[in-house]
Amino acid sequence: MQALLNVNQLCKSFGQFNAVNNLSFTVNKGDVFGFLGENGAGKSTTIRMILTLITPTSGEIELFGKNLQHNRKEILQQVGAVIERPDLYKYLTAYENLNLFAKMSGLKLSKATLMEQLDIVGLADRFDSNVKTFSQGMKQRLGIAVALVHNPEFIILDEPTNGLDPQGIADIRNLILKLSHERGKTILVSSHLLSEIEIISNRMLIVHRGKKIVEGEVKTLLDPSKTVVSIETTNNHEAFEQLSQSSWKQTLMMNDYQIQLETSKNDIPEIIRFLSDKNIQIHSIQPRHSLEDYFLKLTKSEKHVEPFTN
Amino acid sequence: MLSLLQIELFKISKRPRTYIAFAAITAIVMIFQFAFKADGQSYMNLMLQNVQDNFELDRSKAINGYFMCYIILNTLLVQVPILVALIAGDAISGEANMGTLRLIMTKPVSRTQLIMVKFFASFLFTVFLLIWMAVMALFVSLLIFGADDMLIFRVKGEESQILQITKDDVLWRYFAAFGYAAVALTVIASLGILLSVFAENSIGPIVATVCIVIFFTIVSNINVPIIDKNVKPWLFTSYLVGWKGFFYIGTDFDGQPIKGSIENWAAIRNSLYILMAHIAIFLGIAIYSFRKKDILS
Repeated sequence: MQALLNVNQLCKSFGQFNAVNNLSFTVNKGDVFGFLGENGAGKSTTIRMILTLITPTSGEIELFGKNLQHNRKEILQQVGAVIERPDLYKYLTAYENLNLFAKMSGLKLSKATLMEQLDIVGLADRFDSNVKTFSQGMKQRLGIAVALVHNPEFIILDEPTNGLDPQGIADIRNLILKLSHERGKTILVSSHLLSEIEIISNRMLIVHRGKKIVEGEVKTLLDPSKTVVSIETTNNHEAFEQLSQSSWKQTLMMNDYQIQLETSKNDIPEIIRFLSDKNIQIHSIQPRHSLEDYFLKLTKSEKHVEPFTN
Repeated sequence: MLSLLQIELFKISKRPRTYIAFAAITAIVMIFQFAFKADGQSYMNLMLQNVQDNFELDRSKAINGYFMCYIILNTLLVQVPILVALIAGDAISGEANMGTLRLIMTKPVSRTQLIMVKFFASFLFTVFLLIWMAVMALFVSLLIFGADDMLIFRVKGEESQILQITKDDVLWRYFAAFGYAAVALTVIASLGILLSVFAENSIGPIVATVCIVIFFTIVSNINVPIIDKNVKPWLFTSYLVGWKGFFYIGTDFDGQPIKGSIENWAAIRNSLYILMAHIAIFLGIAIYSFRKKDILS
């Protein structure tokens, strides 16, 4: 795999506060790379350093095999980004915004090309509407069109589904997958939702308080053989007793509302059958990957959490 | 760079607030013109009451287009810095406030380029504003009041003077005065841009620019020898009204005005140097600070 982005021992401090702490990771060509962490984990600060909006305290960033600091202009010609909110000029139309940012990238595109770009994000019919009349989802899509207008090889999307309704979220996810599969773009997507990263990414990185927790293939990290199953029944005490005598007893736990055990996702039908045979009715059974469980611990806990081991 | 400047001018032209300045100038000039058309003689009598014994002139011709423009500029050029601050103070901070600054800086545009483009756009806005003032205050006044010799009332030391410039010697002085005003107002623009680098909303830098201008203007008007000698020569506000120097016509040994002359060209030239030095300093600090700045908006 050819590395497209290499982040090496990156640090950023704001006074005494270390926002990013010795962070290293690699995004390969063709990846949809999930960048996961709770709010304030250091994702946006890292992305801003990759885009030269923030100067690192120390560390190095290489994009397309070149040092970012020394080749900023050349590198940014091949990068498109939407950072947090897609803020655009509200008093200009969608077309004017797109045309203006194309020119900033050094391009003079024809009206047909610009309309084609708007069509990709489903805004061709609103090309002459002022951005101030747009919904959040439409602004987000226009932001993506602006990021794509110069046909960049590498696209950075910082929390692209924030504040969107379910349809908007689905549209953005489909667009990301389309850009990756049909256009071969390399995409870095940040999110605080593991489920989102799981759907769209092939590789991922989790950061917590500016530090790397885990990096790797989504398939490997979210291995279905490591699943935490949460069960709610009509009689949790009875269910717990029965499961204590089964092969799942090793990882069995119970709190006030539910029973939890660690097993493979493939065992779920068998657990259902087991409890049904004991005349215990199941209200809900919810599989959650151990990484998801670990991520939830990270986001809920203020204290130190042991490193994740797969 | 040129393409970026075109983009910047396009954005300025699309913003409704840009036209507030032009509308304000139009309204103020029209009020002046209406007032002088209706009752200009009362003003002229007031101005001439101390000198009417030793100065003869045809009062009906004294209020003409050239005179009107001078009166209007005298009042308006003190207020125009506020209008320039409205645009320049918003240059970087406005982009930060809208969230577009981070988007611009993810494009292959250098920070120095962006500051320079904002500076040239503010300069051009200032020039357009002055051209509009020239059209309204000079050319429209000439249409309404006609052209004739121009009278200038001047207080020099403790003495009141009236200077008379023949009508064929006036127009070039206006062009020079507008050119000087453009340089003086560009100092305000560069100050506004400098302050806008440090803020993430427009109100702060706009208000700060206006406050600085007011503060230093007050200091420039304190007539105490120690300030006259040590402070005033270094304040840009001491030179904002230096455009008047083009209308202080040189005189011969008999006190007769010399056509095409300026009383103190050296003072005007030095004022321009000091104003341009201020532009360079403000712009230099703005570029240095912006290059170091983390964009967190």
